[in-house]
Amino acid sequence: MSAYQRAPYGAWERQGRRERERLAGEGAGERVDGRAQPPSYYGRPAVKASQYRWLIASYLFVGGLAGAAQVLAAVADLFGRERDRPVVRAGRYVALAGALLSSIFLIADLHTPQRWYNMLRIFRRTSPMSFGSWTLATFGTFSGLAAAAQALEDLWGRRLPGRVLARLFGLPAAAAGVVMSYYTGILLSATSTPLWAAAYRLLPALFATSAMSTATAALSLLTTAAGVPKSVRRRLERIALAASAAELALTLAAGWVWHRRGQYRPLTEEPYASAYRFGALGLGILVPLAAHSGQVLGLWESAVASSLAAAAALAGGYIQRAVLLFAGNESARRPEAYLRLTQPAAGLRGDDWALRQKGQALLRGIAAEDVR
Amino acid sequence: MAAASTAPAMDTTVTYPPPVHPRALDYTASILPGVIANESELTANVRIEPGQQYGFFTDTSLCIGCKACEVACKEWNALPADDMALTGHSYDNTGALSATTWRHVLFIEQISTDGQRATAMPPFQSNWLMMSDVCRHCAHAACVEACPTGALFYTEFHTVVVQQDICNGCGYCVPACPFNVIELSAIDGKAHKCTLCYDRLKGGLEPACAKACPTNSIQFGELSELEGRAQRRVADLHSRGVTNAYLYGAPGAPGATNGIGPLHAFFLLLDRPEVYNLPAEPSLPSRRIRPGLLSGLAAMAGLIVAAVAAFARE
Repeated sequence: MSAYQRAPYGAWERQGRRERERLAGEGAGERVDGRAQPPSYYGRPAVKASQYRWLIASYLFVGGLAGAAQVLAAVADLFGRERDRPVVRAGRYVALAGALLSSIFLIADLHTPQRWYNMLRIFRRTSPMSFGSWTLATFGTFSGLAAAAQALEDLWGRRLPGRVLARLFGLPAAAAGVVMSYYTGILLSATSTPLWAAAYRLLPALFATSAMSTATAALSLLTTAAGVPKSVRRRLERIALAASAAELALTLAAGWVWHRRGQYRPLTEEPYASAYRFGALGLGILVPLAAHSGQVLGLWESAVASSLAAAAALAGGYIQRAVLLFAGNESARRPEAYLRLTQPAAGLRGDDWALRQKGQALLRGIAAEDVR
Repeated sequence: MAAASTAPAMDTTVTYPPPVHPRALDYTASILPGVIANESELTANVRIEPGQQYGFFTDTSLCIGCKACEVACKEWNALPADDMALTGHSYDNTGALSATTWRHVLFIEQISTDGQRATAMPPFQSNWLMMSDVCRHCAHAACVEACPTGALFYTEFHTVVVQQDICNGCGYCVPACPFNVIELSAIDGKAHKCTLCYDRLKGGLEPACAKACPTNSIQFGELSELEGRAQRRVADLHSRGVTNAYLYGAPGAPGATNGIGPLHAFFLLLDRPEVYNLPAEPSLPSRRIRPGLLSGLAAMAGLIVAAVAAFARE
């Protein structure tokens, strides 16, 4: 009997793929059938966790918000009326502030920050960090120019040149902003960290909807504080409702994918479980969803409720990014998570590997005296 | 079986491990006055030339767990010592590859099977698995693809090296590597990993670990030659009843899957990859970029349409 057949985890590999996934999804190893989990080397991590902590969690939040804010400003500028100008104004300034804050967070996070400019040495399309750095540089530059043009209108009263220049710079800024809002999801997925790699199709879309939700919330709070008519607020609320609904759908889909691939474990353990359920899902998605749907359906009409919902969306959005980052790092520290993720798609039986068959063929072909 | 029964007095058809080079007879003294030109010809039977693909074939069936490779690597690269504590994991007190450990020997004691203590030790390997872990120098390396500064690059020997004067410590290569290799140093804030002794290769010397290995478990050479040798070794082991032996990281084998390409440092293993903490089917992370780009774009497009609808009405 070969080691494959003798090993304690033999039951694991003799299962068909469906059965393996079922066992993996049900927390294989902790159940009665302890042989259903792939073994590991003394429980040591099989892949390295990232060094990203609160600075990067903050960047994930601020960068997405800034990108989506610039997009909203561009949409309001192109399709809105005169009463929507406060949204355009707030969007452009929030985008610039976000771009500056993002740069500070990222440079501070580098382990050799004095070489931050090396990020712009090359453009590597296989690296989300490379095209992300270039996107941030482009976004920051054009957002700065657009905000300066906006200031030309707001502070110096030059309305026509201000608006023309702001739109001229604002459109490329918004294009970069589209990428800014969700490329961090790609950044996380294009690693070997199990939690992020397992949901690689959904994480970028989830970050996009979260960015839109938080940007709408931020602009809503700022314009309400500046004093705008109800109609403008309601417009932002409709967008926030769409973003929250999409975010809920994507969150549930991601949860299903993680469950199916056996990666849900870090999110069901403290401290991530409560933060994810009550912070990311509750505050970030369900509270705004409930508040805004009530407003849109005409069930109630309250500026205070809208503002509270917007604040909840912002808090929940930040908690979501932080939890996904830290839970991802935790998943990298668990060898069973990574080794389960990297099981072959086809059934794994000892004699099926190509090389073993090649070895057999070689054995038949090689003359006896050549084999020592 | 035929070779074992005839048992000639002087076997001149030795193919594994490689025979001693005739030039080696000129250098029998252990302390040498100067550098030997093309020393790798004597020690590894390979002449190192730029443009060829070089790597390691680590035959774990020959490893005795002496850790000479770890020591030689630390000495040659002047790497600082790590934590001196005992881990309690058999003889492995190193733990894992890190920024200051570029060779790491694993020890797996397979004493019992199915919970029953072993009563008979098979003559082969005696229920011990030992493996010297190292950077794989993948043909399509996830770390090179992830590096935004261009610090990580493919050398003229098709190995992977981090340029220390460019790396700014962004740390993106660290979670990208599918094999738990590269790490940021807390001491100097840059990423470090095995260089396959790039400096030695340029001087015609084989890597320190391969030279130090007493059983020739770590074999350095030109990649295609190593692969042929490895295939013959697997066939040899199969013929002797060691049917568990297989290659990890050779073209088409587990480990070199999903775009990572053949690993320039590949292994002959005697058990499932998971036992050694290795992924059976790792994948190149950059393959996950395009689906993500498209799905995120779709989400943003949908929400932009909603935003346009919200602002354009009334």
